[in-house]
Amino acid sequence: MTPKPTGVVLLFALAAFLVGCGSSSHVVKEGDHEANARMESMRDFQPDISVHTIVMPHDEPVFPPGPGRDEFVTACVVCHSPRYITLQPRFSRTTWMDEVHKMKDVYGAHITDDQVLKITDYLVSINGTADAAHARKHARYGE
Amino acid sequence: MNRRGFLQLIGATGAAALTSSCNRFTSVAGTISSPANLARFPDKTEMILLTDRAPQLETPLHYFRQDLTPNEAFFVRWHLEGVPTSVDLRTFRLAVSGHVRQPLQLSVGDLRSQFEPISIIAVNQCSGNSRSFFEPRVPGGQWKHGAVGNAKWTGVPLKSILNRANVRSGAVDVSFNGLDAPPLPSVADFVKSLSIDHARDGEVMVAYAMNDQLLPMLNGFPLRLVVPGWYGTYWVKALSDITVLPHVFSNFWTDKAYRIPNGPNGTESPQHLANDTVPINRFNVRSIFVRPELDEALHPGISTEMEGIAFDSGYGIRRVEVSTDGGATWADARLDPDMGKYSWRRWRAAWTPRSRGAYRLMARATNAVGDTQSEHQWNRSGFMWNVIQQLDVKVA
Repeated sequence: MTPKPTGVVLLFALAAFLVGCGSSSHVVKEGDHEANARMESMRDFQPDISVHTIVMPHDEPVFPPGPGRDEFVTACVVCHSPRYITLQPRFSRTTWMDEVHKMKDVYGAHITDDQVLKITDYLVSINGTADAAHARKHARYGE
Repeated sequence: MNRRGFLQLIGATGAAALTSSCNRFTSVAGTISSPANLARFPDKTEMILLTDRAPQLETPLHYFRQDLTPNEAFFVRWHLEGVPTSVDLRTFRLAVSGHVRQPLQLSVGDLRSQFEPISIIAVNQCSGNSRSFFEPRVPGGQWKHGAVGNAKWTGVPLKSILNRANVRSGAVDVSFNGLDAPPLPSVADFVKSLSIDHARDGEVMVAYAMNDQLLPMLNGFPLRLVVPGWYGTYWVKALSDITVLPHVFSNFWTDKAYRIPNGPNGTESPQHLANDTVPINRFNVRSIFVRPELDEALHPGISTEMEGIAFDSGYGIRRVEVSTDGGATWADARLDPDMGKYSWRRWRAAWTPRSRGAYRLMARATNAVGDTQSEHQWNRSGFMWNVIQQLDVKVA
């Protein structure tokens, strides 16, 4: 099929509507293999669609108040969501500070020395261990 | 447009409709430190949510009952906030440049029409798959065993593309960049490299299809580098730039990230961190239980089939042994037919528990060159986990 110009407009309009929000009611349940198979067959190569667009979902982060929260929101959330913190196990203050230093010195986050301590305070307050038994001397790099 | 054309159109966009989510995803709130969230992202089915921005999504275990992991359930792992969300195939070009006589600008159509395609079934596994099992725990994506998948990849051998570009003599490395962009100028763009010999081995591929379909955007649409037997960090997504270099490639993502201790199985101890590190490279050998799942009902005197997958970097799985008594005794599992040296291999073993109680199931894979799984392993980055899995189940 080679859509005429009007068809192209309609195509994108329809795609935009569907991708946007009009279609989230269909949920494929785990184990619903028949539905998976139907979905697969529909997703075969469609050479006539030349523009592929997705809309990334947005999750409103719920983050508890605490010391250094403002600094965390300013310096950290610009690059990644708070889930990068909440997905972790509880870590010692040393480990969290290593992570903040790693973000600042290695990854290139815009964090001032003053903010390092405040952000560490916040990370420890929401997801830290009381003890520092797992203190490490070296930062860990990469994932 | 006639009615038939319109219906075709509905069919074409239906794909997006079925798989796209609203711009707010449904997730079950987890507690801090124990997120058990499920979420739907565009083109993807419901998956285990590690992080939303940048997205990291884990494949639920039951999908590994299938030999090829469905595209919509294949794990997702991006590094940077600037994930590509729109690609126009009319203007998209794969650029090949650097130490070549004939720089190229190839459309996806060019790759499909001007080169002989190859297909290969290969496992892609995140370097940090199973990170959450390391003790002591290490920071990073807290994956269980679902940052891995097996797919049929179709595309053009990188060797063919490099030959077309007519690589100059003295080439050393080839670097690969994708459409993802760093959120700040101070953050290093995600670029990886392979040696020129590896790049020209005829197996490394620029894939335009995954399980005979387009790649989902979050799995690297429209093109993805496929590096069979090597960790996913090299499988650059939304591949847009290939640069041939007359020198060793150097950047943050190879010099500082994704490095492992230069010792057996990338292991070090928390008390004595290795000073000598090398870039992560080939998969080690491992196996993963697919069944029973932890919530599966098991009863005395009733036979159940244990099942799992095993893979390595391409030597091939020779043997998988299973224990139902915590490693005291072992028996060989049956291996399903070989699907190719870079595919995973399914194994099965019947088990009839005699009485009620707790059992520790274990599985241990060995490859064709005699490499087997670890008893203990640790490194600071949580990479290359291949400790013999222990699955504690209850028979009731």
